[in-house]
Amino acid sequence: MSHDRARTDGSVPALELRGISKRYGPVVACDAVDLTVERGEVHGLLGENGAGKSTLMKVLMGLVSPDAGEIHRDGARVEVHTPQQAAGHGLGMVHQHFSLIEPLTVWENVALGEPGRIDRDAVCADVEAVGARYGLTIDPTARVERLSAGERQRVELIKALRRDPKVLVLDEPTSVLTIAESAALFEVLRTSVAAEGRGVILISHKLAEITAATDVVTVLRRGRLAFHCRTADTSAPELARRMVGRDVSLQAEGAALGLVVTDDPAKHLSPVLAGGLSAVPAEPPAPQAPADVPGTAALALHGLRLAGPDGRVLLDSLDLEVATGEIVALYGVEGNGQATLGDLLSGLIAPDAGEVHVAGRPVALDRPGALHEAGVGVIPEDRHRSGVVLDMSVADNLVMTDLRRYSGRLLMRRAKIRAQAEELVERFAIRTPSIDAPLRTLSGGNQQRVVLARELSAEPTVLVAAQPTHGLDVGAIEDMFARLREAAASGVAVLLISTELEEVMALASRIAVISSGRITGVLDVADASPQRLGMLVGGEAA
Amino acid sequence: MWLDDGGTVLSSALRLTAPLAFAACGEYLAERAGTLNISVEGMMLSGAFGAVAVGSATGSPTVGLVAGAVVGLLVALVHANLSHRIQINTFVVGLVINTLVLGLTSFLLQTMEFSRTQVGMLRIPGLADIPLVGVLFEQRWPFYLLLLVVPLTWFLVNRTRWGLELRAVGENPQAADVTGIKVNLRRRQALMWCGVMSGLGGAYLSVGLVGSFNNNMTAGRGFIVIAAVIFGAWRLKGTLLGCFLFGAADALRLALPSLGVELNPQLLVAAPYLLALTVMVLMARSQREPRALSKPFERGLV
Repeated sequence: MSHDRARTDGSVPALELRGISKRYGPVVACDAVDLTVERGEVHGLLGENGAGKSTLMKVLMGLVSPDAGEIHRDGARVEVHTPQQAAGHGLGMVHQHFSLIEPLTVWENVALGEPGRIDRDAVCADVEAVGARYGLTIDPTARVERLSAGERQRVELIKALRRDPKVLVLDEPTSVLTIAESAALFEVLRTSVAAEGRGVILISHKLAEITAATDVVTVLRRGRLAFHCRTADTSAPELARRMVGRDVSLQAEGAALGLVVTDDPAKHLSPVLAGGLSAVPAEPPAPQAPADVPGTAALALHGLRLAGPDGRVLLDSLDLEVATGEIVALYGVEGNGQATLGDLLSGLIAPDAGEVHVAGRPVALDRPGALHEAGVGVIPEDRHRSGVVLDMSVADNLVMTDLRRYSGRLLMRRAKIRAQAEELVERFAIRTPSIDAPLRTLSGGNQQRVVLARELSAEPTVLVAAQPTHGLDVGAIEDMFARLREAAASGVAVLLISTELEEVMALASRIAVISSGRITGVLDVADASPQRLGMLVGGEAA
Repeated sequence: MWLDDGGTVLSSALRLTAPLAFAACGEYLAERAGTLNISVEGMMLSGAFGAVAVGSATGSPTVGLVAGAVVGLLVALVHANLSHRIQINTFVVGLVINTLVLGLTSFLLQTMEFSRTQVGMLRIPGLADIPLVGVLFEQRWPFYLLLLVVPLTWFLVNRTRWGLELRAVGENPQAADVTGIKVNLRRRQALMWCGVMSGLGGAYLSVGLVGSFNNNMTAGRGFIVIAAVIFGAWRLKGTLLGCFLFGAADALRLALPSLGVELNPQLLVAAPYLLALTVMVLMARSQREPRALSKPFERGLV
């Protein structure tokens, strides 16, 4: 079909994927997906987590071999079985994660994966030349581990652009960038597309980004091509509907999909806020609570300081208070100390200096389990790493942080565990075949409900939710939002650690912005605009 | 008087350092690629045996030396394919290889007869007459192979594309895979270099220093090499310094009684290992360890 269109135009598309299918066991990741990218076009590839975007691009890059389908470059069929072949056919990719090697220098990373002899000076000169052409300045001899997220992104771009790709794929490129850095990135993309006739595939789950930066958009849903159209002929709500497969309300879902970012947030955000805060009875007084009763904030962090093993400052005199019944968001770009704070509040690491007070009492941070005993529940950022044990049953996962409550002197009390598990599965609407099913068999959203159910069942004073909706589908996000509001309404102090502006705006009553390990400002949500937050995120006072 | 004693101890220290240094070149490279190769002990022991067996059969210790390296390579091939092709835990593979080599060489030593076979000395005239450091220039000739092997190892790791890819694989195999490097192939290749070097180290011990093979003759020197790599914080210079430290401790152990110092002989035998243990405790938390060291890599797993 697309082939015919190309012939009538008299031009051949830069890249054509035809009928790409890939299944992993019973799971169909891609089902006969077609995709056509013209020269000089930015092609948005939109879809929820698990919709097949990543698999499709891995096929294109030779990292995964498809079960069926063809790849055509400039009208000719090509075989791509290795990343080198992909590079040879003019395909380049900027990966979301896992593609820079931190202890190596910039030039070593740029040279990695190419054949032939290594020529340090030539590579360094190239890095500088490409950097100068696109305005991506970077020191080629710097070690990557010393670079900021934005600078690393530059290295990735330079690495891809140096090989002069005809089609460049960007996978979620702005997830670690500040708003200013994202703008700069899209500037570079525009130049490289318009002036040099490249095709670009921009993968994103952020609607605002897709509508602003692309010419054509393709939506994938559950491995199938769900929608394809010129970006100018569609709208964000329509794309959201195509992506999710049903109508999307401008509430939690809208926020989750990035629908609410506009130049005038107040207007668009108001319904979200109304919806968000109506569930919290103590809405207006919440921010004042700490002031009214000084020193009794449910959670108070004082002067937390922590340096990494390499001497890098991860947390720098961090102060923050969260009152009972309040949702405070800690917002910032990934890699500015949020993960460290999450680990610290999980009791995984102790700070070099500073104190954590829960309900007015200091917690002995160097003692394992002290935070949990003091009433801090945590939804960890990476639930597979520190939240759950995938091969243990739902029931075991539901009780594992509080085993003392479910065991005698020597033996576990099976009946008590099962009763508690049944109750939590019921109360939190966890969809599982049985409480004995291994957690691995549950969907991501239901795994996250298990974590949430477990943490809330311990009746915490404070709930720390680190990226609680990361990797979840829209329905699960909506549910998570409702449950966090419910928890706050029942008197839990909620600290939401998030990198998603929309999530923060939809849930929190106050937003604390973190940059380079310190709080650069705390705003009431009514005073927060993307611009002000953006400046704080970049480390400037707003 | 003390110059003579010093010269003797230094000479002995150098001779005992050399087998460690050969193996350390291999272990260093393997660890940079992400394999903490504990079968270096088995590789050394099999190399030592192979060198004597072939050396006494052919009558040429030089052929024996080469055979030692080849036997080390064969052991490495087994280890590499088991741990980096069919993904058996590398420590389990290493343990099995070490035990197997020890048992097999003991058995063969009992069932076979070997004649003495030893490579010749190489004395550099003039230089060898300098007091104290002169001992550097009066060694069994394979000692001077180190002058070739050490810079070559450094060059391979730090200057070639192969070495860059090895380091990438040792630090972040997922990223290396994405850029198109065959992670497990590089790790297998690194292990093979380790096998050749360790085999050579073992062969130097048998046909170089002693001239014959005796039961369990490496006696944990492979583990000392691993300690030396940790001591050197995964840098070649430090690793070699570590080897010299352990070699010197070993030499002192042998020299102390003849110098008139009375010490419990059992304690003396344990001394280098105690030193190795101390060094590991002190250096184990070094942050320069390759980040993917002893983490297996399988595609698609994150």
